[in-house]
Amino acid sequence: MEGDEILMQNIKNILSSYETEYIEDYKTVWIKTKLLKSGDLLEVAKALKENGLRTISTVSATDFLEENKIEMNYFFEDLLTKRNCWLKCDIPREIELCVIDSITPLFVGASWHEREVFSMFGVKFTNHPDLRPIIVSQDFYGKTPFRKDFDWDAHEADIVTNMNTIVDSFANEELENDKKLDPHGSEMILNWGPTHPASGPIRLKVHCDGEEVLGIDPDIGFVWRALEHLVTKKDFIGAIVAVERLCFMDNINSMVGYCQAVEEIAGVEITEFAKYMRVVLGEVARLSSHMMGMAGVYNALGLHTVMMWNMDMREFFLDFLESYSGARIATAAIEPGGVRYSLEPKMLEELQKALDKFDATKEDIRSIFVKNPTMKLRGAKIGIISADEVLDYALCGVVARASGVKTDIRIDEPYGAYANITMDYITQESGSAQDRMIQIFAEMEQSVDIIKQAKKHIEAKVASAEFDLTKDHMVKVPKKLPKGEAISRVEWARGEVLMHLVTAEKATSPYRLKLKAPSFNHTMMLNHLLEGKTLSDIPLIFGSLYICQGDLDR
Amino acid sequence: MLKVFDFFAHAKSESLWMAHFCTGCCSLEMAAAMGPRYDWERYGFLPTPTPRQADILIITGLVTKKMLPALLRTYAQMPEPKYVLALGACSFDGGPYNDSLAVIKNPTEILPADVFVAGCPPKPEAIISGMEEIKKKMKAGIPSAASEGGLWKEMRF
Repeated sequence: MEGDEILMQNIKNILSSYETEYIEDYKTVWIKTKLLKSGDLLEVAKALKENGLRTISTVSATDFLEENKIEMNYFFEDLLTKRNCWLKCDIPREIELCVIDSITPLFVGASWHEREVFSMFGVKFTNHPDLRPIIVSQDFYGKTPFRKDFDWDAHEADIVTNMNTIVDSFANEELENDKKLDPHGSEMILNWGPTHPASGPIRLKVHCDGEEVLGIDPDIGFVWRALEHLVTKKDFIGAIVAVERLCFMDNINSMVGYCQAVEEIAGVEITEFAKYMRVVLGEVARLSSHMMGMAGVYNALGLHTVMMWNMDMREFFLDFLESYSGARIATAAIEPGGVRYSLEPKMLEELQKALDKFDATKEDIRSIFVKNPTMKLRGAKIGIISADEVLDYALCGVVARASGVKTDIRIDEPYGAYANITMDYITQESGSAQDRMIQIFAEMEQSVDIIKQAKKHIEAKVASAEFDLTKDHMVKVPKKLPKGEAISRVEWARGEVLMHLVTAEKATSPYRLKLKAPSFNHTMMLNHLLEGKTLSDIPLIFGSLYICQGDLDR
Repeated sequence: MLKVFDFFAHAKSESLWMAHFCTGCCSLEMAAAMGPRYDWERYGFLPTPTPRQADILIITGLVTKKMLPALLRTYAQMPEPKYVLALGACSFDGGPYNDSLAVIKNPTEILPADVFVAGCPPKPEAIISGMEEIKKKMKAGIPSAASEGGLWKEMRF
């Protein structure tokens, strides 16, 4: 047996000592299992952690109204050896009995995910250190909006009362703060947000003493659109409109993740051309996101030149998206079955222009930002994340790689045409705020390299008439899908996006779609990183974590 | 006498500062409008981090229930004359989030907008042309829609 197989066998051995409904291989790097007793969860999780599966990607619940149960899904990952375990168990649906052990004491990264399940489904987690509602607005406190029998329309009927609940809760919070703090002392609670030019819609409750930060409690949900609920009201194609709005900065890759899940359930294999187009479009979106992310941080530091140059480059890549789909940002270009539009050779010229622009500008940008004394002074020693913290808090993408953890879904679990692309892990060493910026820039260069490879391949295949541009972009996906479920992971601009799609029999719309997005875990780190730092470090550390509220709130 | 008033209206309208307030995803295209290619500072627009110095409030797309009190508070803190620009489909009827009940479907019924810019998201050129429309209204001395009416006057925030 090869090394990987032995490691996978180890997981199976652990699981087989508990009562399970099944233990099976799923895709190449997953083991899927279902526990018969939810009481075993804590022990299993502990055994898995000791076996190296230290990271919990997400906790997700699915409400089965007819079977009168709630199914819990836990996604354990090992970022180092790339073995993963998808663990399920059922719990009763009645609100009093809907209780399960919290795994947060073992996996600190599960904390907010469990709070989310608590807010949306009313599942109570025993021994959770801080089980407060998260994301939902105050009028949903104590309710279960994502359950199938929740009557949204009845809840919305009295909008005035709901709004008053929200306003009152803000006012009460202020009163309580006044009571809590010594009126003669220098401690105060500062509201950093709900909207701040350097962050976007998020409210950080900064407990500070003068300049020193004593603690941060992020209040999120200011752009909560309930996307996971919204998709269940649409058909499989209409749902991409909601999925792409996970975050506008990199919308293509989120659509790719969703479409892969749909295709897996439908049993459809897309064409090679479509796979390569997804790579090209995805990397263009990744580039435009990285440019925006980097621009934001340097803008917050007062280095507007880097921002302006990045924004200028970004426009050229958006031109390509516009020539392909007609829209600069909301392209809706990926659809289950392939890509939405055929390709005209003229569009690739537009892409070439963007690549040329990048090559012409990149040395300029490098010269002013790598050696930049401001960034060196301010960014090299703060916001340091160790590799251990990456694994514990389930950080991913740019942030994880800047701390030296080799994780990249494009290589770990290659999807689409990435299996045929030559690429390697890029990592930095120290994991400081500055390193994360250097990492973003290095990944931009990597993306350009990937685009060049894919473009060359497409052009060669078009020349040899192996790709038929008029019809190769799409294969038919049936309108009605069979009962099933799938998970699909993609490397998004900000890290791992895990989509868990569940369909019912003869489904015309998703039954449940869980979107796990990276910013959620990254925001969880904020308090840990900022304790003891000064107020002026907040924009820099916040920006360097590369957080977008779109995927934070969903 | 009339001339003097015209001069003030002209001067006010040619340096519009907008409150830097992002409620939703259209702010991404607003950022592009500030960028080098579209460069809205050519027309005298400038984002300012405080509402006290702002002339325009931009509703950048969707407004959630949690965000609405903050939006109204920001508007209330702005000095007169103040105008509201609504970007995107969301600010008109909820747009793609029309089915989502976490989002307010008609924020401009609560805080009426003077100019709507269509699109999801609108292109930067469209945003700039929307701002130009506000200039025209200011020059003509047309009062802003939100000062004339809207549900916001009856709401607590």
